[in-house]
Amino acid sequence: MSVVGQAESAVLTKPLLTHELGSLAKPNWRVKAVAGAPIEERDLEDARDWGERLGVEDHEDLVELLRRAPLDATAMAEVKRWSSRYGVRLLETVGLDVVYDGEQQRSEMYQWAVAHAEGFEWRGTVRAFDNKYYSKAAVTGPIGLREPYHNEEFSFVREVARAELKVPITGAYTIADWSFDERYLGETSLGAPGRHKRRRDARRSFILDVARNLIRPNLEALIGLGARWLQIDEPGGSTEPDELDLFVESFNESVDGLDAAFSTHLCFSDYDLFFPGIEGMTGCRQFAVGFANYDSRDLGTGVEDRPGYRVLPRFRDLPYRPALAVGVLDIHTDFIEPPELVRDRVLHSVEVFGDPARIHVIPDCGLRTRSWEVAFRKLQHLVAGVELAKKDLRI
Amino acid sequence: MMVPAGSLAAAYQHGIYPRSEAVVAATRDLERGRTTPDHVDDAFRADRAAFLDAQREAGLDYLSDGLLRWQDLFRPLVEGAEGLEARVLVRWFDNNSFFRAPEVEGAPRLRDLPAWVLEDGVPEPRVATLPSPYVFSRAAPASGNQDDLMVGLTRDVLAPAAAALAAAGHGLVHLEEPWIPYAGIEEASWGPFEDAVAAVREATVGATLVLHAYYGDVGPHADRLRRLPVDAVGIDFVETDLEALPSPWGTGLLAGCLNGRSSLLEDPASVAAFVRRAAERLEPTALYLSSGSELELAGPAVASGKVGVLGEVARRLRQEAA
Repeated sequence: MSVVGQAESAVLTKPLLTHELGSLAKPNWRVKAVAGAPIEERDLEDARDWGERLGVEDHEDLVELLRRAPLDATAMAEVKRWSSRYGVRLLETVGLDVVYDGEQQRSEMYQWAVAHAEGFEWRGTVRAFDNKYYSKAAVTGPIGLREPYHNEEFSFVREVARAELKVPITGAYTIADWSFDERYLGETSLGAPGRHKRRRDARRSFILDVARNLIRPNLEALIGLGARWLQIDEPGGSTEPDELDLFVESFNESVDGLDAAFSTHLCFSDYDLFFPGIEGMTGCRQFAVGFANYDSRDLGTGVEDRPGYRVLPRFRDLPYRPALAVGVLDIHTDFIEPPELVRDRVLHSVEVFGDPARIHVIPDCGLRTRSWEVAFRKLQHLVAGVELAKKDLRI
Repeated sequence: MMVPAGSLAAAYQHGIYPRSEAVVAATRDLERGRTTPDHVDDAFRADRAAFLDAQREAGLDYLSDGLLRWQDLFRPLVEGAEGLEARVLVRWFDNNSFFRAPEVEGAPRLRDLPAWVLEDGVPEPRVATLPSPYVFSRAAPASGNQDDLMVGLTRDVLAPAAAALAAAGHGLVHLEEPWIPYAGIEEASWGPFEDAVAAVREATVGATLVLHAYYGDVGPHADRLRRLPVDAVGIDFVETDLEALPSPWGTGLLAGCLNGRSSLLEDPASVAAFVRRAAERLEPTALYLSSGSELELAGPAVASGKVGVLGEVARRLRQEAA
């Protein structure tokens, strides 16, 4: 059986499968230790408390390591691995079926990828919303993979984790869309004839070069290590509605012919824009999509009760019948969704799809803007809500 | 009355300006309990001073505080009004940037703009930026008639805010209108939109009022836009072909001539030549100069360079006209 077949039979066809989605906040002890800042007693207590709560083996070794701060580079790397271990255990402890490490060893989804790529230069920090920012680079030279940038992390997480794994990887379209282009277009002319076509051609070349020369070799390296399920994160996927064809083309260029199961994550968009474009993403086994941000907090399973999920039929009707992982946790608030609200969002989704094996359950996006306490409770309620739904559906 | 090509009424920078790395660090630290509000205030003050210096050095005619504390284009209006809430994050057009949609809960009415909007310590002459009535109403999720919402939001929130800013010494009020070029406007909405702009006009007597259309091709809407009761209409020339605009223009023109979403710095000589050509072709009654879109998404280092380019373009145009 191919690796794709193995992944599908192992996890992807499980009704109401639950999994994590992206990053968790980095604990203060991890941030301070890696930044060379002083570690305070409350940081040590935090490491100890969460270590006990999550059953992290030998966590007192971490506390002892932190006591030695400031740390050298080797010890800092060790702290990052500890943080990764804590992340895995948090996601396992709440009861998710498929986990990763909350991206504890990475800097940020875009920054981490670009930092390991050839052809980019940093241009400063740009705001995403409120007081949330990201570092933005410009493409200035030929794009290439400096070194596979998830191999070490994946090898470590596989060693630590007890649950099934899914590796999140930032997608080509998002990397290109979040970057400035100083190479492919390279002009600023106003009102010049043909500039719109030149802009479009330059975008296509840029996006596909990221797919072919950066993302694909990185995926190949992970598959070589035994990764079976790879999630291509594309929060930028629908940023430019007239480029959905490029988004789809970049996904296909990244994964076509590779022997693994591929899914993609979309969030905070007008999801209608993805149709009919994503009808061409036949290699995508699952779409993981954030909905709770747009939904009501009132209970109910009817269409009118669940305004955030109105686009579900369009995913249901995709000809290649992918699974849909429905976001049921709003990651932008500390509101803890009651299990009953999660249940109703799940039941509504199953009702629309008519098949619980095609519905998976996730947070809308990574929970990195929430405290661990809030993330833990939200995820606990996600799992509890799915159990309620299963009971209702007699699964 | 047409102005001679290259005769420039004013150059200024509109919209939200990017925060420095120091403010980024301070605001992040505050959210994580690692610093104090006083430290964040100090960082914002330093940013505002640096932006003012950059504008003065560039020789800009109206000064802006950079809207550095604004969390998005609508937030101070939401915070200063009853009947509005900001919750759901929505993508800011085709950018990796988001705003919280101003949700109507009850009857929106401006109480007071936040003190930091009015008491910004920026010397006169200064420019204020606000959302245009149309983008304000379309950004607000509504179950009812959005044109009625536009008229109501303008009457009870936007126009009072514009009046307060004009009274506080802002000699130019700049209205941002990305929605129309990006997503279009129904024919039936033009009338209510014109009424709403007229309400802002009435509230800002004595100030220069500019409505700036960007993030898309303005060509299809230009004929209606130039008839609005404003002193000048802004055109994003990064997205709009000069030849697509009607001539003579018949009102003031704000030439949006720098790409606010590109890290490449424009060549001042080329930009000046383009603006001169635009002025010759359109024969506006007054000529203003700014970026095509706000500079927030360019990041602080690039934005600072663009402000310098803007100043250099203005200097060249004035030199040629002298």
